[in-house]
Amino acid sequence: MKLDRRTFIELSVGFSVGAGTGILLSPVNWKLMDDMTIWSQELWPRYQLGGLKGQLPQRGEVTHVDSVCTLCPGGCGITVRKVGDRATKIEGRAGYPVNDGGICILGAAGLQLLYGPWRVPGPLRRAGQRGAGQWEQVSWEEAIAEAVKKLAALRGEGNAHTVACMLGSDRGTVPQLFARFMKAFGSPNLMRTATAEDTYELTLGLMQGVTSSVGYDLERANFILSFGSGLIEGWGSPVRVIKAHSIWRSANVKERATVVQIEPRLSNTAAKADRWYPINPGTEGALALGLAHVIIKESLYDDNFIRNHTFGFENGTDATGKGYMGFKRLVLTKYTPEAVSRMTGLSSSKIINLARAFARAKYPLAVWGRGKGTMPGSVYECMAVHALNALVGNINRPGGVWARPKVATQGWPEVSQDATAWTGYGMPRLDGAGTKRYPLTGHRPERLFQMASEKPGAVEALLVHEADPYYTTLDSQAVARAFENIPFVVSFSSYMDETAHHADLILPNHHYLERWEDCPTPVGLQKPLLGLLRPVVAPQFDTKHAGDTLMTIARALGGTIANAFPWEDYEGLLKETLADQWDTLEETGYVEQAGYTPPAWEQAFGTPSGKFEFYVSAFDQVGMTMRKDVGYLPHYEPVKPEGDAALYPLVLIPTDLMRLADGPVGNPPFCTKTLEETELKGNDLFVEVNPETAADHGLSEGQYATLETPKDTAKVLVHLFEGIMPGVIGIPKGLGHTGYDDYLAGKGVNANSLLGVVEDPISGLCATWGIRAKLTRV
Amino acid sequence: MSATEEEKEQTVAEGEQAEASDEQAMASPEPVKPGTWLFIIPLVAFFIGFVVHLLVGWVVFPLLLYAGKKQPIDFNHKLHVEELGECEGCHYFREDGSFSGVPKLANCVECHEEAVGEHPEEAKLVREYVEPGKEIPWLIYARQPQCVFFSHAAHVNMAEMECATCHGPVGESDHTRPYQYNRLTLYSRDIWGHNIAGMTKNAWEYLQIKDSGGTIDGPARMKMDDCAECHEEKRGVKDSCFVCHK
Amino acid sequence: MKEAHHGEGDEKTYKFGMVIDLDKCTGCGACMVACMAENNISFRKDETDKLRSNFWMRVYKISNGLPFPDTEVSYIPRPCMHCEGYDHHHATPCVSVCPATVTDYNHETGIVSQIYTRCFGCRYCMAACPYHVRVFNWWDPRWPKGMEKYLNPDVSVRMRGVVEKCSFCFHRYQRAKNKAYAEGRRELREDEYQTACTQACPAGAITFGDLNDPHHKVYKLKKDPNAFRLLEKLGTNPKVYYVSTTDWVRKASDAYTGKQGEGVTPG
Repeated sequence: MKLDRRTFIELSVGFSVGAGTGILLSPVNWKLMDDMTIWSQELWPRYQLGGLKGQLPQRGEVTHVDSVCTLCPGGCGITVRKVGDRATKIEGRAGYPVNDGGICILGAAGLQLLYGPWRVPGPLRRAGQRGAGQWEQVSWEEAIAEAVKKLAALRGEGNAHTVACMLGSDRGTVPQLFARFMKAFGSPNLMRTATAEDTYELTLGLMQGVTSSVGYDLERANFILSFGSGLIEGWGSPVRVIKAHSIWRSANVKERATVVQIEPRLSNTAAKADRWYPINPGTEGALALGLAHVIIKESLYDDNFIRNHTFGFENGTDATGKGYMGFKRLVLTKYTPEAVSRMTGLSSSKIINLARAFARAKYPLAVWGRGKGTMPGSVYECMAVHALNALVGNINRPGGVWARPKVATQGWPEVSQDATAWTGYGMPRLDGAGTKRYPLTGHRPERLFQMASEKPGAVEALLVHEADPYYTTLDSQAVARAFENIPFVVSFSSYMDETAHHADLILPNHHYLERWEDCPTPVGLQKPLLGLLRPVVAPQFDTKHAGDTLMTIARALGGTIANAFPWEDYEGLLKETLADQWDTLEETGYVEQAGYTPPAWEQAFGTPSGKFEFYVSAFDQVGMTMRKDVGYLPHYEPVKPEGDAALYPLVLIPTDLMRLADGPVGNPPFCTKTLEETELKGNDLFVEVNPETAADHGLSEGQYATLETPKDTAKVLVHLFEGIMPGVIGIPKGLGHTGYDDYLAGKGVNANSLLGVVEDPISGLCATWGIRAKLTRV
Repeated sequence: MSATEEEKEQTVAEGEQAEASDEQAMASPEPVKPGTWLFIIPLVAFFIGFVVHLLVGWVVFPLLLYAGKKQPIDFNHKLHVEELGECEGCHYFREDGSFSGVPKLANCVECHEEAVGEHPEEAKLVREYVEPGKEIPWLIYARQPQCVFFSHAAHVNMAEMECATCHGPVGESDHTRPYQYNRLTLYSRDIWGHNIAGMTKNAWEYLQIKDSGGTIDGPARMKMDDCAECHEEKRGVKDSCFVCHK
Repeated sequence: MKEAHHGEGDEKTYKFGMVIDLDKCTGCGACMVACMAENNISFRKDETDKLRSNFWMRVYKISNGLPFPDTEVSYIPRPCMHCEGYDHHHATPCVSVCPATVTDYNHETGIVSQIYTRCFGCRYCMAACPYHVRVFNWWDPRWPKGMEKYLNPDVSVRMRGVVEKCSFCFHRYQRAKNKAYAEGRRELREDEYQTACTQACPAGAITFGDLNDPHHKVYKLKKDPNAFRLLEKLGTNPKVYYVSTTDWVRKASDAYTGKQGEGVTPG
């Protein structure tokens, strides 16, 4: 047969039709259709899942581990859900005394911090310029040897005292280990971040003569008068306060608690309050005294308490026969509703009505500490608010303010210092805390950086643990200058935060979900509590417990320093320190004193008079002699915002957002995602301005503007908000990071860089509440 | 045949048109008379194409689509069932009601911390996995897609179904069969079933399990329709999506 | 009517729903993050375009629109309403428009499902949903290296081009049922199945349970004189109730039918 054209066509058509029929009668089509569907739905996305590398989240045995969250000083109990060896979810621990099952937004996002790319992968040594982000990964031996070499050299030169240490807290064994190290090494310059709690502790010391932290019996209070405290934003222990808020809202309408928020801006707390009284920023102290005026004038105060347990309410004469003015006289003459109305901008009728309602409530409670309480504030203002609590007799009473003793003993052996340590430790502190000028203050962190920037050589080395001073300290530019003058910065941070970014050596600590540690009573809690952090997962990176790192350094330094740390490792130290509490802690995760009640009025006050002192005689005892009687009394001493009113017509106040962490821990991506579209747009931050003010400055919604303060200038977006006082600009704290990574860095403006430090005359701590500013259209 | 020869032939044919009419009929495009054997050409071509592609579709295609892997250890289920009893001895329910699935190394170590017999596979287990403390990368025949939620508790505890109803008489096997997976979807062949047409009655019928005892009724495959069919039949309702999906 | 074929079988039927106390809700956002952590919700470096941001639970901020200092603000957490509808003319809006049977109304639980692998992303359901609870995946999810470790194996990971929404943490129901089955029970206790947002809420503002069961807390709470639902007039019969003692907030729930100039403005 010849294969001609026709045959060829016949063959190929025949074959093709046959082939097609054959394939159609085989399962190829429907099988491939099914497989392609699965491929597109299942397999293709798998390859898109970045880090998953084609692996979907694996199933496994589910376990739960109880621990404590330390992302803020709130100390909530957490339960971590694990699948196999992966931690998959953080939930509030049911039954935990602080939060009973609830969790805050930051705590819920904790796993993003654990597994995030912002973790420091292992010990790092700076390779390039400071802050350039060039690192060399070194071994732990090498890293520790380097720290030891530098520290030993400084000590050898007789410069032990030029080593400073900055901590985020002074609670618990790890901060105490650092304190011990500094003492054995020979430097007095142990610092920690200061907060409103410091000022309240100082106030309790002055007016009640006790060394105590403040505890609020929020759950039982039924009239809460908050002087700008961001109760909802994350003040104290956030979940606990929000829970208390729900208790206030739960009772039937008659017994429902009343919440009054005094604040220039309609914050979440103000929005949830029954009444919101915006007053001129910085005049909270004046308002407290105005309320005191009405309460005293109308005899609405607790007569028993005032008569029998206070000192300095009425005019009197002291032991030396010198006459002094009483609180009553001062308040009645100087803080009439009319005068206070002029200062605060709140009408006198509102002042009078508020005072009456407060004093007549069954469990009134005045709460102090602006925003999240991250800024120390004014001592006299705190005293004025505390005096209100005293007037209604709620000191150490149900629903009142409790002085909760600070537990500091850990039963460790005394540190024996060698001559170098003794000399160095005896040198004056760089920050002037505890000196004649500021005898009552323990540490003034802002001053340390001022000293470092003014005096090169003052700080030769800085150790930073659980703090991010490079980011959180006000007047960021001054801090940056200070860092340039500190030749050796060591960070113990788990995250690549700003301080770590500008360090010379990073000795990364285990993340809080990877380590053992004790967590003493959370801020603001009225009852003592000890929680235990336990490793939920194995360390994810080449990290080391800061306690162990520090002890290794101490041992390498040798001599008395090594002798000060006789423990084998941190875990051993913790067990030994917690001694008889350890078994309970290991089993249940916490030890609480549920039945704790503060001492009765008869035994409560350690002041010279043995009473609650409106007239603070302790000032004389510590050598702080005041020129006038008023200096001994709670009074209104305005903290003037920096800047010339003519050049800077507006006032900038930092605002706290619940969904934005503004402390040493950067905001995780989940939380940043929840920010409103009127808070952040792209990488630009919104500032809040009243529409009236905006109109005066020719600004409209969503417009770019230049925000200028005496400290810094920033480009911002304008959000018109009826909930902010005219003349005031609100800027959220917590953005403007340069550390961490692209999920946070470069977004918005760091409010701290626009603010400056205004020192409080009594504590020397930062009393800043705002700064003068100018907003101009771009 | 080259084109020039063809042309030449055609020229000749044109010249001798009248005389060579029979010859012309063979080469001309006119219809072929019925009965001539040449009609068979397209049919044969059709048949060849048909058969070849049936073979491609039914035989070659599955060979291309599926790839096989050997289990890391040739496990003898029969022996273990004899020693330990029911399936639940190793494939147990956890306290939260979840099914443990394939045992972890820890379960094996309970008995095999050291070799208890002399089988080479056991020696391999001890040498390669127990001693270095490495999990055995078992290949799961019945692994469902990630969008599927399957409750063993519902089927075993509540519906009182036998393991073999879905998994086959695995307990009677003394070797592990090769694990086959779909190159496109990466899922086990057991999901679609071993019949490439998906018409299998018992997925395990085709497997070389020795001493397999009789036939056991079960779903033809482990696809969604099979689940749905059984649910509709046994529970008398058409289930919603959020019963088996997650 | 395909729903008509669906039945209850031998399982107890529930009508899961939520009552959210807006007096207690502080707008803190813990519910949003708990939801994202529980349900493998993706995130990107820039999430400020809220039209393309993926939230199953979103807390809205609304204002009474009055000038300073009479401004008031309220927060409204908004999960999926799991609309039941009343009849064929008022059926679950998303279910009635889906061309692919991706979403259905589960008569055993009252939960509106979403099967991601069926969805081809036409987004009819998004247009149909009056509560904007449905979100479209504009991008494939990507987790920074290492972060995939926290993913929850009980919830599918979604891909680009499909729609997703709140499922009332249905996998937790499955999990709870699993446990009950293992213990030889069919019925669930109230506390055995709770959504992630309910569990996380520090204010205890969210209550979740069976709206049909007189023993469940939601049964009583939904009858509060101050209880209301969003856009009640549309006849969607949602299963999420809100309680607020503030008049303007209650009025705001029917914002679409309110007169212009009164009611709410975005905060």
